[in-house]
Amino acid sequence: MKKLINDPFDFVEEMLEGFCAAHDDLIKRVGRRAIARVDAPIPGKVGVVVGGGSGHLPLYTAFVGKGGADAAPAGNIFASPPAKPILEATRAANGGAGVVYFYGNYAGDVLNFDRAAAMAEAEGIRVATVLGTDDVASAPPGEAHHRRGIAGAFLVVKALCAKAETMADFDAVVATARKANANTRTMGVALTACTVPANGKPTFSIGDDEMEVGLGVHGEPGVRRAKLAPVDAIVDELVETILADLDFTGSDVAVLVNGLGATPYEELYVMYRRVKQILDARRITIRRKYVGEYATSLEMAGASVSLMRLDAELHDLLAMPMHTPMIRQF
Amino acid sequence: MTPIDGSKVTAALIAVANVIEANKDYLCALDSDVGDGDHGVSMTIGMRTARKALQALQHPTPETAFRTVAEAFADEVGAASGALYEGAFEAAARASAGKATLDTAADWAAIYEAMAHEMQVVGKAELGDKTLLDAWLPAAQALREAADAGASLSEGLSRATAAALAGVENTKHLIPKRGRASRLGERARGYQDAGATSAWLIIKTIEESLS
Repeated sequence: MKKLINDPFDFVEEMLEGFCAAHDDLIKRVGRRAIARVDAPIPGKVGVVVGGGSGHLPLYTAFVGKGGADAAPAGNIFASPPAKPILEATRAANGGAGVVYFYGNYAGDVLNFDRAAAMAEAEGIRVATVLGTDDVASAPPGEAHHRRGIAGAFLVVKALCAKAETMADFDAVVATARKANANTRTMGVALTACTVPANGKPTFSIGDDEMEVGLGVHGEPGVRRAKLAPVDAIVDELVETILADLDFTGSDVAVLVNGLGATPYEELYVMYRRVKQILDARRITIRRKYVGEYATSLEMAGASVSLMRLDAELHDLLAMPMHTPMIRQF
Repeated sequence: MTPIDGSKVTAALIAVANVIEANKDYLCALDSDVGDGDHGVSMTIGMRTARKALQALQHPTPETAFRTVAEAFADEVGAASGALYEGAFEAAARASAGKATLDTAADWAAIYEAMAHEMQVVGKAELGDKTLLDAWLPAAQALREAADAGASLSEGLSRATAAALAGVENTKHLIPKRGRASRLGERARGYQDAGATSAWLIIKTIEESLS
């Protein structure tokens, strides 16, 4: 392990301290393990709480800010936060119009967020949950509710938070979030593993000439181990898998090419070029595009492609401004 | 056998913390095969925090000792294991409420049953789902049967450890139904479950510490 760290068990604490100090114009600390936007809670606005394990920046704490989420608890690396910081984030986000949770569909997150939701509701805060399930590699189409949430979360969170920002009512915000998630698909590939500091060893081993197709963002094994192929062939497989899973014929889409942490932006642009070629050939119209790091896995190398099928509402919500610690859109 | 009072329970739980931390890398390696490789880390974070709080306890009762561990998991861990062990140790605290000592197999059978039951409720999992319950449920059952048959505490705890170990071995043949590993289906068969393994380490260490 070769990292810029002190005691690995202090890593998340020290990271949060620096993160909050660096962005104190946009966010504030709420309790020990949660942050909120500086102006939260906003009276009358539906609050949005996003969150999960740390190790994925910008997801999720850097999604908090203007036009973004109201608050986010931060777990240990790749581990759901406990119920307590989730509850603290919920209180911080509650402007009296209810709070919507959005997080990836993982057993630990569901356990802890559900417990926090029960505690919040006991305090009179209305809570609804929308689970991110964009990863097509993690379960067959008929079992979409078993799918895990990965980088497509950014697109869903962007639409969800923009909707809340319009001061829409609780049911409308929840409905938009569900629609956004239902229309989002992601497929990824990993080239190298990453190392959780307190573990000290790579989460899996992979040969120099190999790739893992459909790998999870925490190093969970994917669907297929294969010889590394030219990037066009990889992008073809990722995009074709997505297009086979949801009918994008004639649709407007948002595209997200997401780097996992160690893959250079240059390679992501090579990938985006190929995504555009495929979609152009199929007469699928790209209306919004994002290329960069939105959901990383520490220093893992690899990338994912996400597509969101857009209607007019989702398009306009994605186009709204957002100003958070690591994402700025005008 | 000397009475098992709050100090003895505290010492047993500190021993558990030491064993879990010593096995951090082993538990992470098991979890890396099918999961995300952090089970040893989550358990170590919880038990390190618990050990610090346990060492600071003044005149502990069995109830306060168990509750101290529950609070450590509640505050520091998260993940599925954090919620499950917070619930389990809180259930152990309730099961030992008002008791100055826990001297019989029946005392510990009640505690293990409460812990296993709570984890079943919180985790919504069953025996055979390839989770920590595959160690906890057989251990609780073996201890209850031993208690009902009039076995001594050390005999009962020894049977619980043996049942937990058999449960761990059995997880190699199971397909996971819960947690991140569940998405692998058949690909996860053949691997020993990390959560069941740490459960066995806890059960075994309590036995060794109390016997």
